[in-house]
Amino acid sequence: MPSVFVYATVFGGLAVQAGLHVVEVLAMSVLVFAGASQFVAVPMIAAGASPLSVILTTYVVNMCHYLMAATLAPSFGAFSRRRLALIAHVVIDESFAVAVSRSRPPDAAVFLGSAAAIFVAFVGGVTVGTLIGGLVAEPERYGLDFAFPAVFLALVATRLRHRRDWLVAVGSALAALAIAVRLPGNWHIIIAGLTVSGAGALFGDPEDTA
Amino acid sequence: MALTIAGMALATYLTRAPLLLALARRPLPARLRLWLRLIPLAVLPALAVPMVLAPGGQLVASAGEPRLWGAVVVFVLAGRRVNLLVSVAAGVAVVAALRAIG
Repeated sequence: MPSVFVYATVFGGLAVQAGLHVVEVLAMSVLVFAGASQFVAVPMIAAGASPLSVILTTYVVNMCHYLMAATLAPSFGAFSRRRLALIAHVVIDESFAVAVSRSRPPDAAVFLGSAAAIFVAFVGGVTVGTLIGGLVAEPERYGLDFAFPAVFLALVATRLRHRRDWLVAVGSALAALAIAVRLPGNWHIIIAGLTVSGAGALFGDPEDTA
Repeated sequence: MALTIAGMALATYLTRAPLLLALARRPLPARLRLWLRLIPLAVLPALAVPMVLAPGGQLVASAGEPRLWGAVVVFVLAGRRVNLLVSVAAGVAVVAALRAIG
């Protein structure tokens, strides 16, 4: 929970630094509520990417929610559809990890308690971050523009376990680089991200999912 | 901007709601699960590496590029399970220091 707060504070600060308005940063955090994809969207928006490319990239980054929603679904049979439509908004990997580590199938109450706490910590952290972020002048001098790719690289590095993971990550990086120097815009992210992960899933061992 | 944020919110909701509302009884097919797991592993480097090595579509030619060394530091630290934000802060500090020198 404290780590979510700090992570959200960093996001709020960097998003304001990148030129987003405080209201936009808060609206995004409440309405999208998916940290990694928000980190992805901010530098794209700052660089003037088209709304369509930002929205599609957000979708692709968040596709892993399908996996969580499918795993959580059997635990939520007792809820009305209206409730489920609301609960769906807080399907997020931190709460998912908490619920799944406690029991299989995950317990609905554990998940919801964790999700509520994380929502408060996340939005609170972003709010604090937007207040701090406005105070720093000359962000490039402090290397803060590098914080975005740094977050992405750190997220990848912590997830690399198997040889297959390395092949996918390195392959996708090279493919994206090759596309980025030829094709203007941000399409290299979606093209390399979907095709190289797809190749990994086609040729990898599907039972090897540790 | 409102359009972008609304679109992001909708796109994200579409990744969360359908399977929860369907109350899926069966797990997703194994290969589909694997693909969904691998997508972030492919998307994040596809995003980060061009930002570091080819900002604006221009390949960086110099080995003295501060972001290159910042990236190496972040990747190695985070890969050794150093706290995510500590790793990021170290990378940012390296970039700032190299820029100050160069």
